Amino acid sequence: MTPSMDLANAPLGTPLTLIRVDAATSRQRLATLGLREGASFRLLTRTIGGGRIALVGGSRIALSKDLVRQMRAQAAR
Amino acid sequence: MTESTRLRLTPTTATPSSAKACCDTSPQHTAGTGAPVVALVGAPNTGKSTLFNALTGSRVTMGNWPGTTVEVSRGVWRTTLSTPSCDSEKCASAHDGDPLAITLMDLPGAYSLDAHSPDEQLTRGLLQDGPFNERPDLCVITVDASRLAHGLYLVSQVRELATRVVVAVTMSDIAAQREVTVDTAILSRELGCPVVATDPRRRTGVVALATTVRTTLADPVPDPRPAPLTDDALVLDDDRFTWLSEAADMATVALGHDRLTLSDKVDRWVTAPVAGPVLFLAVMWAVFQLTTTVAAPLQDALDGFFSGPVSHAVTSLLALVHLQGTWVEGLLVNGLVAGVGMLLTFVPLMGLMFLLLALLEDSGYLARAAVVTDRLMRTMGLPGRAFLPLVVGFGCNVPAISATRILPDARQRLLTVLLVPFTSCSARLTVFVMLGTVFFGKNAGTAVFGMYVTSVALVVLIGLLLRRTLWRTMGTEPLIIDLPAYHVPTLRLTGAVVWQRLRGFLKTASGIIVATVCAVWLLQSIPTTGGQAFGQVPVEDSVYGVAARTISPVFAPAGFDQWQTASALIVGFVAKEAVISSWAQTYATEQPQPGQTGLLGDHIRAAFEQSSGGHPLPAVLAFMVFLLAYTPCVATLAAQRREVGLRWTILGVGIQLATAWLLAVAVFQIGRLFW
Repeated sequence: MTPSMDLANAPLGTPLTLIRVDAATSRQRLATLGLREGASFRLLTRTIGGGRIALVGGSRIALSKDLVRQMRAQAAR
Repeated sequence: MTESTRLRLTPTTATPSSAKACCDTSPQHTAGTGAPVVALVGAPNTGKSTLFNALTGSRVTMGNWPGTTVEVSRGVWRTTLSTPSCDSEKCASAHDGDPLAITLMDLPGAYSLDAHSPDEQLTRGLLQDGPFNERPDLCVITVDASRLAHGLYLVSQVRELATRVVVAVTMSDIAAQREVTVDTAILSRELGCPVVATDPRRRTGVVALATTVRTTLADPVPDPRPAPLTDDALVLDDDRFTWLSEAADMATVALGHDRLTLSDKVDRWVTAPVAGPVLFLAVMWAVFQLTTTVAAPLQDALDGFFSGPVSHAVTSLLALVHLQGTWVEGLLVNGLVAGVGMLLTFVPLMGLMFLLLALLEDSGYLARAAVVTDRLMRTMGLPGRAFLPLVVGFGCNVPAISATRILPDARQRLLTVLLVPFTSCSARLTVFVMLGTVFFGKNAGTAVFGMYVTSVALVVLIGLLLRRTLWRTMGTEPLIIDLPAYHVPTLRLTGAVVWQRLRGFLKTASGIIVATVCAVWLLQSIPTTGGQAFGQVPVEDSVYGVAARTISPVFAPAGFDQWQTASALIVGFVAKEAVISSWAQTYATEQPQPGQTGLLGDHIRAAFEQSSGGHPLPAVLAFMVFLLAYTPCVATLAAQRREVGLRWTILGVGIQLATAWLLAVAVFQIGRLFW
């Protein structure tokens, strides 16, 4: 099984599968934007302050540093 | 002809429970009480407001920014039917035999009906929580073809309600660039409701949408989409996501979904740790420069026009009817003409500011700017995008208040509106420069710079104070921003946004500005001693002068209790531009030329020397701090009233006056120990 990692440590450009969101208050908001458990996505860019821009289903979603630390993913098969 | 208006709603406090009730309040902007009511809903950045504009031909806020539509707009959609073989907009007149007027409402952008934000709360209130017979007759939901699944969560929730739904697929041009195609027939089958492809920017597919809406309106209300019989939100969400994923997968061919675009390459720089802030500061500098330097000559020209030719013309006309030199001349020239003139001098400034804001919004840059400034602003509980109105405030507070509309959350808007007056506008700069030159000589620049540093410190400190008192419960949710693709703003849409906002400002601000200028004239015209005629009285003997004398002791602890100084502060409440001219008027001297201090400087120096008991420097610093922190001008108050209502505007004035007085007293009392 592929090891999981938080998004702060996930590589850019690699296809990923979201396996868990620990930030409970943001979980549903992320889900409505396509970032729900099981979703395939990629991280495109590291932004100022340690955030990331994720590409999911054609959408570009900017996420802050504290949030990416609470999201875990693994490399997509 | 079409008509529209904007219905102001404060989402947290005034969520209407009835779409029809709110449409019935102003019949001239609806299609009539018997007409069908159609609600336009959709996620932000799906072309919803642009579609509203295309359907009604009205002016409505449109922007490439999540949550731009913070008000409910409505208009009359005059529909015609198309034949199956003809969907040409030019051909619509051929079908005019069966027109139908529909009341169209543009609801705030919402990703779901879960009420995460005040905008979503508003949409939920109108679609879900109101009585069934008062809900809209049909919902048109816009979804972005380039990222179909993104907009379908809202569709899944609305389809669970007993209401008619038509899905409008937009952004086909961006989808084509990304090699994404959507089969509307398959999507319609999967969603169980009609689906129409439309391009509101090019106004295609509009007649087909009208035909589909009318056909659907004639049908009975369809059964809601069956959902699991449970209250477990996770189970319900799983069901919705499974349903929408299947629909999106079936209807979409996405060859280039994950391909990097030019927007992605630009974002790599625009949001980068070093390049991002540098670009942001450059953009802010350009906004600041353009609003102050480009608008300034236009403002001066308008000011000169009203105080020169217009005033002279009015005086000449009054001479013809033998009213020259009477109070009527004072009322017309110093009251009405001066008031209208002052209002109109704001037009170039506001127009330019709204234009720049619209360009930044529509291009997609503003969403990136929010990412860049997010961490800094979050210390005050504000999102990154709040930086923009605060920067704009250093040019002029009035457009800065209006610029708070880019904030999607009502409480964040309110907090920013209360902070903007503490940013030192360019009108205050003129007074700082004059006093700096008079009292600090070659160190004038340092004194003025100190005022700007104080201004920034005040914004941060007051922000933190309010955050920890009035807004303790305001959440600090982490940054999640849906970044729209960059695109070139369209002239027509940008022009419509600018005009709509400018019209709103003039409509609201005109009354308060003209009325206040007239009120000051009136108070300066009423004598308090016998033997003087109305309108022919020296300022110090007028009601205004007496009021200034009455108020002036309040400033004794701050070292500037001369009545002339208090008088300048009262006039400064109307407009900071008038402070120096007020001194000139009360001391009956000419205004000094820029860079010179003249006789007026001597008068002012003597006044501060006397009122401070021999400590003029701390007294003038206290005065400058007071001038910085207290209410900027009536135009700012008018803009605040428009954005947050009278109650919060009054509270804001209270905060400004209390802060200004306490700081001024502290500066003088501490300063006199050293100087």
